[in-house]
Amino acid sequence: MTAVAADARKNPAAPETRKNPVVAAALAWVFPGLGHWYLGRRRIAIPFAVIVTVTFLLGLSFEGRLYSVEAGQPLTILATFAVCGSGILNVVARMLIDSPGGTILSPTYEYGCAYLLTAGLMNLLLMLDAWDIATGRKR
Amino acid sequence: MIAALLPVDHFLIMFVYALLASAFFALLWRESSRERWKLFATLMASLVLGGLAVAWLMYPFP
Repeated sequence: MTAVAADARKNPAAPETRKNPVVAAALAWVFPGLGHWYLGRRRIAIPFAVIVTVTFLLGLSFEGRLYSVEAGQPLTILATFAVCGSGILNVVARMLIDSPGGTILSPTYEYGCAYLLTAGLMNLLLMLDAWDIATGRKR
Repeated sequence: MIAALLPVDHFLIMFVYALLASAFFALLWRESSRERWKLFATLMASLVLGGLAVAWLMYPFP
């Protein structure tokens, strides 16, 4: 029995208003806070969108690196996964920025990388949160 | 780029990072306003004071 079905047995009224968890998680990935907006939690969606977007943009302005997988560098797989968590922000930034690899000589390079990785990981947490709300695991 | 316009202030960058991370987790993990402010203050103090403590401990090393 799935968690959704188990929860539906406990609370029969819930499924009528419940949204699709896959759609919620997908929207949460596309843009920060969009999953919560879809789930009707609009007051909390806006601060989430602002926080994650500001973190991502500060990471770019600090000349951090939008990681890509490199042969012989296994840790770049994890870093790429984290950065790709930012969804459309990551996609648009890669198209618009001249050097997605960052500026390694910049004094703020490491800070920029930390900000970019954190923004992606925050958005991945928002995806999981949207999933939990949609499946009824979180109220 | 903003980084080119602002002075490279390590404490300011760390402070802003702590601010964003604390606000995010306070909103994510707590429901009531009072609990959110409490967690925000705890996380903020931990990150900033912890960062200063680690920086101070690293000071003698090159």
